[in-house]
Amino acid sequence: MGLLKKFAAGLAVAATFAASMAIGSARAETVRFWYHFDNPANPMSELVAKFEKANPGIKIDAENVPWNSYYDNLYTALIGGNAPDAAMVKLFAQPRLVEMGALEPLGERIDAWPGKADLLDNLLELNKGPDGKQYYLPVQYVVLYLYYRTDLLATAGLKPPTTCEEFRDAAIKLTKAPETYGFGLRGGKGGWDQWGAFVFSQGGALKPGGLTNQHAVAANQWVIDLFRKDKVIPPSAPNDGFQEIIGAFKAGKTAMTIHHIGSSKDLVAALGDKVSAVPVPKCGNGRWTSYGDESLAVFSSSPHKDAAWKWISFLAEGENNVAFNSATGQMTVTKSGAKDWKLHERRFVDATVDSLPFAHVLPQNAATSEFVNTAWQTAMQRALTGQITSQQMMEELNALVAQ
Amino acid sequence: MSIVTTTRAAERSGSFWRRAHLTPYWLLAPAVVVTAVIVFLPMLQAVATSFYDLILFRPNASRFVGFGNYIKLLQDPVFWTALWNTVIWIGLTVPLQMGLGLITAILLNREFPWRGLARALIIIPWALPSVVIALMWRWIYDPNTGVLNDLLIYLSVVQGAVPWLADPHLALYAVIATLTWQGFPFFAVMILAGLQGIPKSQYEAASLDGASPWRQFLHITLPGIMPVLATAGLLRVIWVANSMDVIFVMTGGGPGYSTHTLPLYAFIKARQNLDFGYGTAIAVTFTILLGSFVAVYLARTMREVEK
Repeated sequence: MGLLKKFAAGLAVAATFAASMAIGSARAETVRFWYHFDNPANPMSELVAKFEKANPGIKIDAENVPWNSYYDNLYTALIGGNAPDAAMVKLFAQPRLVEMGALEPLGERIDAWPGKADLLDNLLELNKGPDGKQYYLPVQYVVLYLYYRTDLLATAGLKPPTTCEEFRDAAIKLTKAPETYGFGLRGGKGGWDQWGAFVFSQGGALKPGGLTNQHAVAANQWVIDLFRKDKVIPPSAPNDGFQEIIGAFKAGKTAMTIHHIGSSKDLVAALGDKVSAVPVPKCGNGRWTSYGDESLAVFSSSPHKDAAWKWISFLAEGENNVAFNSATGQMTVTKSGAKDWKLHERRFVDATVDSLPFAHVLPQNAATSEFVNTAWQTAMQRALTGQITSQQMMEELNALVAQ
Repeated sequence: MSIVTTTRAAERSGSFWRRAHLTPYWLLAPAVVVTAVIVFLPMLQAVATSFYDLILFRPNASRFVGFGNYIKLLQDPVFWTALWNTVIWIGLTVPLQMGLGLITAILLNREFPWRGLARALIIIPWALPSVVIALMWRWIYDPNTGVLNDLLIYLSVVQGAVPWLADPHLALYAVIATLTWQGFPFFAVMILAGLQGIPKSQYEAASLDGASPWRQFLHITLPGIMPVLATAGLLRVIWVANSMDVIFVMTGGGPGYSTHTLPLYAFIKARQNLDFGYGTAIAVTFTILLGSFVAVYLARTMREVEK
């Protein structure tokens, strides 16, 4: 009898356990999240573990998608109906994503979110969609500035350039081809933001007619001449991407290049005190640098929008955001995180902050995605190699913008 | 006993013969169905898509344009550049791979110590994934840190670093060299198998008759491996024509359009610019061109081989 009772009790416990497991698994939601980190020491799993502990009903399936095909994969996944619930996204993709109806408006959720007050000023404004709605939640930012080799400039008796004239002059003096070149230009994929510092500052703009005016064409010619006439840029430039320009700068092949704080750790590890940074030079009467944004978004196709929102807002909060940025090497979007910022050397933070007043994003229209993805680089490469003129390049890009 | 009776009965009724007649079709059916579903159906779909103006991120603006994409294609200067690049791409890569493979096979067919090891090692380029090869060669060619320029400067062949992949006149040939290196082991192995199938007695007879090694090569070796060369050559033409992964990783089609081949152009249009209508029009056009080439090749070479 006693034995039977024990058995019955055991059975009851087992049944309850099984039932609670069933309920648990029925309630557990899985949020699929796409991101891209270049850094192999990736702390995403720690953030996921912390989040899952605080939100027992939600599982995060975070996938690191390689940057070079990130948007190709994202667009195809969205169209193919296999999109993640949430992802890291950049502003240039927003008009296309909005046109596709792929984004979930986040305005109300952000307003009700306690972390909103901790976001740096103006970021939400900068991230607004082309229709005025809020789809993006900022997660990190960078600003492009000019890296230079302190030792090489000192040897040549030069100060970091502040204008385009000084920049060209310094680049010529620093060039001792084929050992050293003055400037590492990124002529391959993703180089438009370096180019923007020289062309958008002098009257160029990504709008119909904005590229074909004489100032813009002349500014573009000036960049081409740096390569073709002054020869202050390594001959590999037309095919150079991020790896190549950073590699050449680290190896001492180039004395200056334009990139953001994300590469400072790597450069300091290789060069120590011999690398520093200043804002990009002032060209003509204007100054323009690229505000490199990164945000998080929830997709309208997601069946787990609330869970996805919980996860992305978690990443944009104080210390989580700092942990996130320690992986990407970029800047936190929170006031509390920025107060005690130790991830980068002061000189790079200063160069970033000093660049903010003239940092811009590209206009949000459908042509921007194609300009950034393929059009700029095919046109620039042909202009650099003398296949087309500056005027032809600008007309070709103008045709894209005017579509 | 009863089995025999039934079989005989079936034979008499003729249903056995009918069934035996159908067996090959039944056996082939799974392969045919799979091929139809995963190859022919998408092909038909691609042909249909090419008649539409379809940009994936504007699904609502999609409309039927008939031959519009094809007319646009013929007027597109990038199409003609890419077509010419494709001709150079196939026309140089396949013969170079075949030539290098032939030399390697003849060397490997001789007796020498460690021959087994050499035969195993030679296959490595073929066994590596294309993307690994592309990245590897990208760094070899790199003008700032690459080993090729270092070597050439050290040997005083060139004065300064040559931007192999950034010079529009060199980039395509640099990529062709990479693909030649990757693909020659395939020919080497195939030809080696062919060489081993040639009876030794033929060479002995020829040398008794006083034929020089060159004449032996011309009249025994070459005819002996002709069927292998024809088949392997055809396979390679198709593979090389369609392969774009190495180009994509090494140059992305640049600088400008100088390493665009037609499959790469179709890929860039369809996947990067999401212009599926135009992208499939390029792909369909290329399929027709390659298909006609293969048909002519088959008709001519197979006739030669069967002679």
